[in-house]
Amino acid sequence: MSAPAVTLSNVTKRFGEEVVAVDEIDLEIGDGEFFSLLGPSGCGKTTTLRMIAGLEFPTEGSVRIFGEEMGIRPPNKRPVNTVFQSYALFPHMSVFDNVAFGLRMSGIEGSEVDRRVNEAIELVRLSGMGKRSSRQLSGGQQQRVALARALVNRPKVLLLDEPLGALDLKLRQAMQLELKDIQQEVGITFIYVTHDQQEALTMSDRIGVMSRGKLLQVGPSEEIYESPANRFVAEFIGETNFIEGEVTAPGEVKLSNGTLVKARTHSEPGSAVTLTLRPEKLNINAPDTAVPPDRCSLEGKVHRRIYYGDALFYEVDIGTVVVDVMVENRPGVPRWSEGDEVVLDFHPEAAEALTE
Amino acid sequence: MTQLAEYEKVEVNPELEEKAEKEKARRGLFTALPAYVYLIAFFAIPLVLVFVFSFASRSRTGTPVLADWNLESWARLFDPLVAGLAWRSLWLAVVNTLLCLLIGYPFAYWIATRQRSSTRNLLLVLVLIPFWSNFLVRTYAWRTLLDVDGFVTQFGEATGLWGQLLFTLPAVFIGLLYGYLPFMVLPLFAAIERIDWNLVEAARDLYASGSDAFRRVTLPLSRPGIVAGSILVFIPSLGAYVTPDILGGPNTTLIGEYIVTQFGAARNWPFGAAVSSAILIVMLIATIYYFRSGGRTL
Repeated sequence: MSAPAVTLSNVTKRFGEEVVAVDEIDLEIGDGEFFSLLGPSGCGKTTTLRMIAGLEFPTEGSVRIFGEEMGIRPPNKRPVNTVFQSYALFPHMSVFDNVAFGLRMSGIEGSEVDRRVNEAIELVRLSGMGKRSSRQLSGGQQQRVALARALVNRPKVLLLDEPLGALDLKLRQAMQLELKDIQQEVGITFIYVTHDQQEALTMSDRIGVMSRGKLLQVGPSEEIYESPANRFVAEFIGETNFIEGEVTAPGEVKLSNGTLVKARTHSEPGSAVTLTLRPEKLNINAPDTAVPPDRCSLEGKVHRRIYYGDALFYEVDIGTVVVDVMVENRPGVPRWSEGDEVVLDFHPEAAEALTE
Repeated sequence: MTQLAEYEKVEVNPELEEKAEKEKARRGLFTALPAYVYLIAFFAIPLVLVFVFSFASRSRTGTPVLADWNLESWARLFDPLVAGLAWRSLWLAVVNTLLCLLIGYPFAYWIATRQRSSTRNLLLVLVLIPFWSNFLVRTYAWRTLLDVDGFVTQFGEATGLWGQLLFTLPAVFIGLLYGYLPFMVLPLFAAIERIDWNLVEAARDLYASGSDAFRRVTLPLSRPGIVAGSILVFIPSLGAYVTPDILGGPNTTLIGEYIVTQFGAARNWPFGAAVSSAILIVMLIATIYYFRSGGRTL
């Protein structure tokens, strides 16, 4: 059908001789998609976003927006707008003038400016605040102005660089859902840069995980969480346990402590793998509990119990490694103490054997 | 909950706040006391004396007499000769301020946008180096350069672009521009360096061309520097004495030199005092107006 909203082909960005900020990235982002670039700070996600915005130019490779090659086209000639991390509101202008800036720069005048600015201010629920100076606003309000200022131009793609980073937790969670609603309302492509995996999982249609300039895995939230491509992705997204082992047969892994378990394997028998098992996928039982035949079991000893409020974390020593187990804090769930012998069980589908 | 409300009530108690404010002001006064004493003794009192002398009369030999108070000296300000001098000084100061701004802004911008802070510091030191030697000495150096056998004049004559400059108005401009440019560059640099470059990027992202982004964002945000620099250049330019005296000629007399003459050779202290006071008032009005117009961003 139509061209993807953004296509990055073999994009590399070097700063100076040695720093490779972005390393040969290939990525397609569909029209109307909410796409997140997720990674730790310094992984190149912001640089990638800036290359789409035109605030940086790739050293190699090409950036296309709706099929059109961007080359070294300056930011003012690209059909994208950015919500900056620090909001970057013009301090010498009112809220209205901030939001109207893009429209005025593109030659729109008079009542149309008024109408569209007021519409945008309403969309981010700041009605009546137009005359305020941008310096009189709280962090959350500034964030909304920054959003309105970008959306008012009806860009084909909206770029968001950690827009919620400076807000406190409650406000951030509320804004996550609101952003998602706004995205569905306006129906434009959002490319969202964040280091917060929870945020990415909550909001995105698809996530691209980056580390050290490389794009490690691209996929829907669930796929990224449930079947990470490698150790980095598994560890960066949520909590997980790693257990070393060796594939003995397709779908079967011998763990470092000698236990034979079933798992999702993708490599030949004999190859060394790391099993990733999320804490919430494990059950904890009394010793000599009969584990259903379709599940695998691991024997261990409770090393420590940590109270999280909504959950309990048990650190269980299975001989070679300590495995975290999460148990929801519900009434009637038995509690284990330090030193208790226990049996852990999990479904083979929950165990992914990683090779890197 | 009620306890919290009680607590908040105490916190906004206006009486307590007022007391705290007063206490703060008292402490502030104490630390500023030496400066106050100095300024009152060596600035405020002499200034009042000048103002008082402007209403005094003079004896036949020229000594000022603090009696027979009159407005004669003030009336003489409208004398065409004096008004002409004042007018020349005023436009010269305005033009010099504009020239400094025109030359200083790109330079300050260039320094402020250097990536490495060591480069920026080095460039700033270069701007300040002239201050390490005496202003009078530097002005005499210009005299040598602008004189008949000076480098600048020789170059102008060789290329046919200009003749001798010394004792002409251009020489005074060169001297003033040279002398006051650093006072423009430094505050401009401070203001431009403080600008958040994300704002310029944001403007570019919002369809502003490079020049639009400069006009709409960079320039308005460097306004505090423009205001401060203009004041720092305008005021001493208006009252300039050394530069026009050394580099200018009989046709370039400025109000500053004229005042000196009144206190010296002409022995007319009341009139000198009146001209001084008048300039002071003009500067005060100009400064207040200028600060007001740029006040919000300062």
